[in-house]
Amino acid sequence: MVTYDDGASAPQPARASFLARYLFSTHHKTIGLQYLWLALASVLVGVVLSTLLRVHTSWPDTAIPFLNGFGNSPERYAAVRLLHGSLMVFFVLTAAPQLGFGNYLLPLQIGASEMAFPTLNLVSFWLTVASLAGMTASFFYQPETGINVWLASAAIFALGALLSTLNFMVTTIDLRAEGMTLPRLPVTVWAWFLNSILSMLIFSVLLAGCAALLSDRLLGSQFFSDISFLAAQPQNLIRQGSLPVLWERLFWYFAQAEVYVAMLPCFGIVTHLVSTFSRKPVWKERLVVLALCGVGLVGFCVWGYHMFATGMNPYAPLVFAVLASSLGVPAAFLLASWLGTLWEARLQLTTAMLFSIGFISLFIAGGLSGIFLARHDLSSAAVSEDFVIGHFHLVMGVAATFAILAALFFWFPKLFGRRLSEPLGKLHFWITFAGVYLIFMPMHWMGLLTQSRLLPDAQRAALASAGASIRTLVTVATICTVFAQVVFVINFAQALVRRKISQEEDNPWRATTLEWSVASPPPESNFGYANPTVYRGAYEFPEGLANDFAPQHLAPELLAQKVR
Amino acid sequence: MPGSTTTQDIEFIVEKKTSDGGGGNLPPAGHDGGGDDGKRPRHWKPSPKRYYTGMALGIVSILMFFMALASAFLVRRGSGDWVPVHIPTLMWINTVVLLASSATLEMARHRLAQGRLSGYRNLWLVTTVLGVGFLAGQIVAWRQLVAEGIYLASNPASSFFYIFTGAHALHLFGGVAALIYVAKRNFDQAQVTRTVAAEVTSYYWHFMDALWLFLLALLYLGK
Repeated sequence: MVTYDDGASAPQPARASFLARYLFSTHHKTIGLQYLWLALASVLVGVVLSTLLRVHTSWPDTAIPFLNGFGNSPERYAAVRLLHGSLMVFFVLTAAPQLGFGNYLLPLQIGASEMAFPTLNLVSFWLTVASLAGMTASFFYQPETGINVWLASAAIFALGALLSTLNFMVTTIDLRAEGMTLPRLPVTVWAWFLNSILSMLIFSVLLAGCAALLSDRLLGSQFFSDISFLAAQPQNLIRQGSLPVLWERLFWYFAQAEVYVAMLPCFGIVTHLVSTFSRKPVWKERLVVLALCGVGLVGFCVWGYHMFATGMNPYAPLVFAVLASSLGVPAAFLLASWLGTLWEARLQLTTAMLFSIGFISLFIAGGLSGIFLARHDLSSAAVSEDFVIGHFHLVMGVAATFAILAALFFWFPKLFGRRLSEPLGKLHFWITFAGVYLIFMPMHWMGLLTQSRLLPDAQRAALASAGASIRTLVTVATICTVFAQVVFVINFAQALVRRKISQEEDNPWRATTLEWSVASPPPESNFGYANPTVYRGAYEFPEGLANDFAPQHLAPELLAQKVR
Repeated sequence: MPGSTTTQDIEFIVEKKTSDGGGGNLPPAGHDGGGDDGKRPRHWKPSPKRYYTGMALGIVSILMFFMALASAFLVRRGSGDWVPVHIPTLMWINTVVLLASSATLEMARHRLAQGRLSGYRNLWLVTTVLGVGFLAGQIVAWRQLVAEGIYLASNPASSFFYIFTGAHALHLFGGVAALIYVAKRNFDQAQVTRTVAAEVTSYYWHFMDALWLFLLALLYLGK
């Protein structure tokens, strides 16, 4: 036990070794940054893989690394797709907005000096790393072994995620600073908290499902089927009756809600940023929190709508269709709040704000095609691979990536004490924004035109040539957009070596929440001796102040001095 | 703060937080009264509330894991290849042992609250032994089933039987480890008191007890 004797004569411990400081640090800011680096590495590999997939779809005869090297078989194509999806969903969309930014910012935003269980946090980070290694390794194995390795990695990821959610929930419940009442919580904190509840419920199910399936495949147990049905053809699967469907149900129970696990923190981030850059409070903040609860609750219940195409009780699709459509209600609330905040605002179109508005745009565009898919009668006609791929990439993949980029541009000064270049950021935004629409909108058309089950075969054949040219357009747009990401990488690398921002610029966006009340980057103890006290809500921009904003930590009498 | 170290900063903050009495989020007024004399050596005892919250939420998470398997069990039960597994008599005896361990755990906590440390230690040890006895009994029961030719891979019912009992045993093993840890831990300089550690462990142990009763009922009624 360290006893506190005197500030000046306190013994200086030797500077911790590299291992202790980085690899085995239990500090929430270090771990948060590590998750972000993990996500950055994964997203770079992920987009390269997606380019390979597009090139192969458009020009099947071209020799492509990773596809040809292992024998140009359909299994290799499937393996590349699986790796692309796993990296993006688990290590980018789940890891970055929740585990990365969440770990770094949650204690700072609620005025705590650490997460509730730092050691647990370290364990869950290394479980995530192990899972990343496993999923990457599964790509290089033969399909049979590869699936086992993938399942084990997914189970490990679920375990790590469960430990993380425990940490997030307990931290939010028990470690809030004095005066940080629930209505005063930033919406970001609400989003991380609600998302943790949802994650806890669904990752438990994924863990159970993966454990049972692994046991089937390795130990010969018979939870799902007496044969390893994943090796069988999908068509056979569906007609075999209820056995494989059981696994599908467990999986989709997780996977459908996983979409909202990726999206919930993004909603929080975008709400936070839109308010800050509009210099206005969040419009109907309590309704926003309720809407986030609604997204979590309904998102948890809609798993069945992935199963329209498989066997299920004839009334069940109707129930799930109603539930899935009712997701529109909280989504509309959120949208109304964003627009209400933007209404007559003193907008500051920084790169972070542009990416936030881009998120809203993509969320609307991608969400609208979701309405088709939520109708079980329409979706059986419209469900075609390209339509679905276009839909979920717009609304989940790209929209969430925009929110992550918005968060990165916004909190980069906090994370590194340096700023990303605004001109380069805006260039990156506009190219990417145009690029993703050019990629995914035509994909919707392709799905509706050339793969629709409503058209007779003859007509579909006639449309095939049109489909081919659209396909080429999509591929060219993908290649261009992926290359445009070089602008971002240059911006990022340049910013890391740029000179640090001065102390006056510690709060460059003039934001109100607690993380901006300390230096950038924050000292290791977060708030030092000055235990923060919170006096007001998270989004107060009153008129008549010299600074136009009222930080949460500023005592009313100090705030009064700032009146012009 | 020149000369101070960050570790001490953290400890001081946490200490200050807890020194103003209570795990509430809105400490009573006047909490700054003793805030400035942090130069006297004090022990760092953060609020134990987080351990209770963490255990409660952890229990929900474990419950969800077993509920997923239970729902799969109920769905799978309808298929044609289902051959019910009869529960070995030994497992009923094990159940009594586990229930008894919960009782002795409560008695141990009662002794601890009264400050009778030796009585607490003895009963805590009895609880641990009963827990290990349950695990050993489960292993023997599995071996009996194997001797009867009922394997994990025999049929869906046996698969579920082994995964339910096995996953529960694995979780209970964690509980036994926690019991031993609490018994061996030196609480003089720990962040938590023995009372808190014992209480949080007891939540988990009683939950394992209740979970076992649920699983037993599921396996018995659902076969």
